[in-house]
Amino acid sequence: MSLTLADLRPADAWQPYEPSAQQPFTRRLAAHLYRRAGMAANSPELDAAVRLGPEAAVKQLLSPGEVAKQFDQEMHGFAQVTLAANNPELLSGWWLHRMRHTPAPLVEKMTFFWHGHFATSAAKVREPELMLQQNELFRRHSLSDFGGLVRGIARDPAMLLYLDSATNRKVHPNENFAREVMELFCLGLGHYTERDIQELARCFTGWEIQHGTFKFNQFQHDYGSKTVLAKSGKFDGDEGLAVILDQPAAAEFICGKLLRFFVADDEVFTPEWISPLATKFRESNLSVAPVLEMIFTSRLFYSEVAIGRKIRSPIELGVGVLRALDGTTNMVQLANRLRELGQMPLYPPNVKGWDGGRAWINSSTLLGRANLMRSLAESSETRFGGQSLDQLLDKQGIQSAEAAVDHLVELLVAVPLSAEVRAQLVATLDQRGASRPQRLRQTLHVLGSLPEFQLA
Amino acid sequence: MLTTTRRKFLAAASAAASSGLLSLSPHAPRFLFEAAAAGAEMPGDKILVVVQMSGGNDGLNTVIPYKDEVYRRRRPSLAIGDDRVLKVEGDIGLHPSLTGMATLLENRQLAIVQGVGYPNPNRSHFESMDIWHTAHTQPQDRAAGWLGRAFDARRAMLAQSTDPPAMHLGAEDQPLALAARDVPSPSIRSLDQFKLETGGSDRQREAIVAAAQAPRGGAGDLLKFVQTRATSALEVSRRIESSAKDYKTPVTYPGTDLAQKLKQVAQLIDAGLATRVYYVAIDGFDTHSDQRDAHSGLLAQLGGSLAAFAEDLQAHMHADRVLTLVFSEFGRRVEENASRGTDHGAAAPLFLVGNRVKAGLIGKHPRLDDLQDGDVKFHTDFRSVYAAVLEQWLGWPAAPILGEGFTPAGVLQT
Repeated sequence: MSLTLADLRPADAWQPYEPSAQQPFTRRLAAHLYRRAGMAANSPELDAAVRLGPEAAVKQLLSPGEVAKQFDQEMHGFAQVTLAANNPELLSGWWLHRMRHTPAPLVEKMTFFWHGHFATSAAKVREPELMLQQNELFRRHSLSDFGGLVRGIARDPAMLLYLDSATNRKVHPNENFAREVMELFCLGLGHYTERDIQELARCFTGWEIQHGTFKFNQFQHDYGSKTVLAKSGKFDGDEGLAVILDQPAAAEFICGKLLRFFVADDEVFTPEWISPLATKFRESNLSVAPVLEMIFTSRLFYSEVAIGRKIRSPIELGVGVLRALDGTTNMVQLANRLRELGQMPLYPPNVKGWDGGRAWINSSTLLGRANLMRSLAESSETRFGGQSLDQLLDKQGIQSAEAAVDHLVELLVAVPLSAEVRAQLVATLDQRGASRPQRLRQTLHVLGSLPEFQLA
Repeated sequence: MLTTTRRKFLAAASAAASSGLLSLSPHAPRFLFEAAAAGAEMPGDKILVVVQMSGGNDGLNTVIPYKDEVYRRRRPSLAIGDDRVLKVEGDIGLHPSLTGMATLLENRQLAIVQGVGYPNPNRSHFESMDIWHTAHTQPQDRAAGWLGRAFDARRAMLAQSTDPPAMHLGAEDQPLALAARDVPSPSIRSLDQFKLETGGSDRQREAIVAAAQAPRGGAGDLLKFVQTRATSALEVSRRIESSAKDYKTPVTYPGTDLAQKLKQVAQLIDAGLATRVYYVAIDGFDTHSDQRDAHSGLLAQLGGSLAAFAEDLQAHMHADRVLTLVFSEFGRRVEENASRGTDHGAAAPLFLVGNRVKAGLIGKHPRLDDLQDGDVKFHTDFRSVYAAVLEQWLGWPAAPILGEGFTPAGVLQT
């Protein structure tokens, strides 16, 4: 039997992990940290993280510093150029490029988390500029205050267009946004009534999008008294939101979702697991960074309950392979391939975002994942460290088939391989009748179609 | 291929099982249970196709009480008048875009079941869709779908089939209706997705299959789950690549997404897979604003696709064994909103297409002067329609799946 959450006690598991002789902070654990808190790390990054230790490595992820600011400006410039094509699919490629190259991987991962949480699809919004604006809102608030993010999203043109809430008149309040605030964004089912939704919708009357810009239309606002979740007053939208964010359920809802996103797919995190995080979240005025720090430095995070206990999402898979192997490829093509696997950035399936977990896996997506790895390995547009995969390994002094397989597995696979599966990879790399570069590409393809590779 | 004798034996064993002979006797030999299970499913069995209208279809502007005063008053910009509806019978007409459905009606292949819903309607898309998918109204009871539970109940039989019990065609997440505890059903975007690309190298294919199948001692649940799926994916790929290559049809399907999905379903049916359920969805019915043109386009797509599909099945001699169920998670409010759209509602019509349906209108149109929270009231529980589909079409007992108390609705010729 493998270890489960039921085998641990929250009071112990939330203690900070301290490397020890029994459980040193190895390249494998560092790879686990970067797979979850980012989009995977390459070999030198793993060595650097091992030198820093988990606490300092997490600090660095939380405060990426000056280099990230320069990168932001550069990427903003590229995005403006991309917008000129007026094709949101190019913006998806831009975002993948950004995820691949960012010096602030946790910021980018959280930006992606918020995109799934406040899901808005370019398929309906159709205006790349508004999608970019929303994307930058998520990034600005990625690690900071959740309240500011919610107030931002309540005025966000892409979101309101996506939810058919560009108009909201006092005679017929539009309930759509108010419903999602309660159900999907802040509280979760069971913490409100239909009446609360109707009342909150009244708070947002007069909040409009005109020509892609947020406007408050005082003639359409209902200035009367509202009662939301047992609090009454002549609330406007922000005051309505404050009532929601003040609910204990809000911190618990977000922390529960962060736990599932960052720690394990299959575990049910009960209130006793969530409550220490939720307390920290409330104490820091709903700032996200302290919660993330608590997760990424915990014993829980470095236990077998977390390692390999998530299914890699398609984006984590595609971008992760590139980051781990210093790879570059055609990102617009990659975006379209990810669509087939069910996760194209900026195109979530519905307002609930991507379910994740076991929902990623079925016959077509598994074949698609294998095919994606083949296309990444074989494409003439893919480079590893600016060259071919065998040149990259040569540069790192890796020669024998066994050493090459072990190196790739350490970088790319979260759980140990059985001796038999490892031997099959070595055999593929050792087969006769093909050049070494070709055999390496084939090995990467077989490795990328392994069940183990699908775990994060 | 099965021999005639074996077929007969399997059929007799199945009959014994469904009559209760096997389950009631403590002495029935185990091999007969297994045979009953194996015999229940084979190419040629009845097939269910589910078409999901996602977003909440405006039932009131689909099956229209066009003479109703209340309808015209509550729908000042959206009401469709008697000069435009496609008349069905009495005061009921179809939306003018549903010419495909009108043809099906003429051919006696369409049943319009009116006023379908469930008690205490939920107006959240996800909640209500989950309720339709699981056939459970309690939130704690949503781990598996109604079809998934039916597969779980028959997993001994399914373990012997190389074909999955169900297939979902589409890029969206797999519908919860198919979620099962033990028996996975694949989702596919197009038939090409069943191709494992190896650049023509058989050796590479063999390496991938061998690596997926190698035993994993001490593997955790999640890894076991992925490995089972990976093995089945590679097998399904082999089978579909070899069987669905040369499909020819005399029917011109519309170029729409739904029509193309249904064409692929027809191909898979014609390829002789033992798959019993195909699932497709058409999204966009959440028409909160400027509903008129959007809804009209969606209904045109729906009717045209269903008509082409039915014609294709007829041409390939499969029409007698395919039933199509068309539903949405809820209807919409009677009263239109200020954005010339409609908000989430409750009861709505559903449709059944096939040669064995009771063609025409079934049940009365819900009254518009007797509303509950602004919505029409249901009179037919959707689970009684499911009961009819399970028992009278698929031949599977409904009570273990739906619970007691859902008498099959009279929607099929029996």
